[in-house]
Amino acid sequence: MKPVWILARREMAATFDSPIAYIAGTLFLVATGLLFFFGLGGTDDFFAGREATVRPLFDYAPWVLAVILPAVTMRLLAEEKRQGTLELLVTLPVTDLQIVLGKLLGAVGFLVVALAMTLVLPALVLSIGHPDIGAIVGGYVGLLLIGTTFLALGVMASTWTQNQIVAFIVGLMLCMFFWTATDALLRLVFDQPPPALALLSFQSQFADFARGVIDLRSVLYFLSVTTLAVLASTYALRSRHWQ
Amino acid sequence: MTSAAMIQVRDLVKTYGDKNALNGVSFDARAGEILGLLGPNGAGKSTTMKILTTYLSATSGSVTVDGMDAAANPLAVRAMLGYLPESTPLYSDMAVYDYLLWCGEMRGLARADVRKRMAEVARVVGLENVMGQVIGTLSKGYKQRVGLAQAMLHNPKILILDEPTSGLDPNQIIEIRNLIRSLGQNHTLILSSHNLAEVRQICDRVVIIHQGAVVADGTLDELEGRVASRHHLIVGVQTTPQQDAEALRTLLAQTPGAVRVSFSHSSQAPVPTAFFDVEADTDIRTALFERIRGADLTLLELRRKSLDLEGIFQSLTQSV
Repeated sequence: MKPVWILARREMAATFDSPIAYIAGTLFLVATGLLFFFGLGGTDDFFAGREATVRPLFDYAPWVLAVILPAVTMRLLAEEKRQGTLELLVTLPVTDLQIVLGKLLGAVGFLVVALAMTLVLPALVLSIGHPDIGAIVGGYVGLLLIGTTFLALGVMASTWTQNQIVAFIVGLMLCMFFWTATDALLRLVFDQPPPALALLSFQSQFADFARGVIDLRSVLYFLSVTTLAVLASTYALRSRHWQ
Repeated sequence: MTSAAMIQVRDLVKTYGDKNALNGVSFDARAGEILGLLGPNGAGKSTTMKILTTYLSATSGSVTVDGMDAAANPLAVRAMLGYLPESTPLYSDMAVYDYLLWCGEMRGLARADVRKRMAEVARVVGLENVMGQVIGTLSKGYKQRVGLAQAMLHNPKILILDEPTSGLDPNQIIEIRNLIRSLGQNHTLILSSHNLAEVRQICDRVVIIHQGAVVADGTLDELEGRVASRHHLIVGVQTTPQQDAEALRTLLAQTPGAVRVSFSHSSQAPVPTAFFDVEADTDIRTALFERIRGADLTLLELRRKSLDLEGIFQSLTQSV
C-alpha cells in the first residue's frame, strides 16, 4: 500500500498547486452555501424556515459535487497520457491498480478538505439551535461516500482519453447519470420499482444518510460502485498491452 | 563474449492493428556492455524498448532479464531497470528535488537513502545547482539530466535510454554522451539512436533494426567491414590555375590499385582544393601519397570515407 500513499500525496500536492482546486473548491462552497441558505428560487429559505437543521446541505451538496468533482479528476490520467509521463509512471515497480488507487486517494484528499470547509454550516446551526447530531454525522459520511464514488467515476473517465475536457464531460455525464437517471429510469419502466432494483438508485441510497441512518447496505453499495470504477480504470490502463 | 546475457530478446513480434511494428526481433545484451539500437525513425527501436521495460506486451516472443521472464515478472524486472523514454516526459510542475525524492520513494527506497542517492546522482549528472528549480523552467539539457537522474537513482543493473541526445544542442550532446559513456562502466546499458557517429562514440556493440527486424548485430567496425568490401577514400589536392580537375583525376586514376576515381567537388577556401572520391580493392593510401608527391602536387587531405547510416542501411537491407 505504500506506493499508493506516496502517489496520493503527490496527486494532492499537484491538485492544490493547480488553479482547478481553488476554482472547484470556491464553486463548491459558494454554491452549497447559497443553496443552503436560500434553496432553489427561495423555496426553502433557511431563515424563513425557522428550523435548526442542516438538511438542505445534504439535499444540495451531491448535485454540486457531481459537477465539480469531475473537474478535479479530469487531469489525473489524461494529463499523464498527453505528456507521456504515464510511460514512466507505469514502468515504476508498482501495479496499475496501485496507480489508480493512488490517484483516487489523492482526489479523496481534496474532497475531505472541501467537505471540512462546509463544517462552518453545521457549526452555525449548532450555535443557534439543537439540530440532530446523528443526521449531521450520517450526512457527512454519505457525502464522503457518494463523493468518493463520483471521484472514481471521474478517474475512470480520465483513463479513457488524453483530453482533459473530454474527461471532464464524460465524468460529468457519468456522475449526473448515476445521481439522477438511475431513479428516473426506474420510474420510467416501473410504476412501483421492485425494491431490489430501487436499491440501484443513488438518490434513494443517499437519502438514508441524510436522515442520520448509516445503513451498511448503502455503504456497501457506494463502495461497490467505487470498486467497479477502480477496476474498470485499471483495465483501461492495462489495455495499452493489447492495443 | 565475456559475460552472460543480462537481457535476452527472442523473436519479438508486435502488431498495432494490422501494422507490424516488430517482425521477430532477437538480440542479447551482455552484462556491463553498452548496446546501441540503431535504426531510422519508425524502425521499431522505441517499440522494442517499450517491451523491454514492460510498458507494452509483445504480440509474441519473449524478453528475459537476468534470467527472469519479463512478461511474467514485470515488477521484479522494472525494479532492476532505469528507463528514460523518448522526449523525456517529466512532471513539469514539480521541483527537481521533490521529483527525484518522489521517484526514489515510489521505487521503495527509504527517504534517508533516497536523499543520499540524490546527492550522488545530482553530482554525477550535474544537477546540483538546479535542485530547487521547477522542472518546467529548466532548459532541455537540464531536463535530460533530470530524466537520467531518475533512471539511475535506484542504482539499477540496467539502463534503457531512448534517444537520449535528441533535441539537445551540440555542447549538451557532448556532455550527455560523456555521461552515458561513464555510466556504462557500472551498468548494462541499451540506448537507441539514429545517429551513427553517436553510436560509434558510445557503444560497444550495435544492433541495427530496420522495418521491425534486426538486419545486423556486431561491433560497428565489423559491420562496416562487412558492408564495405571496397576501400573508399577522399583525397583533397591543392590546385593551381594551370590545372583543371579532369587532369588531376586522370593523374590519380593512374595510381596502382585505384579502381575508380571521380571528381567530387572543389573548394576555394582556405586554398583552392579539388576533392576526389577514390575506390580501391586494397588500402592504396601510401601509393596515392607517393603519386601526388611525385607529380609535385600538394596533398591537403587524405582520409577513409566512413559509411553513413543510410549507406549501411542500403547495403545491409539489400543484402538481406
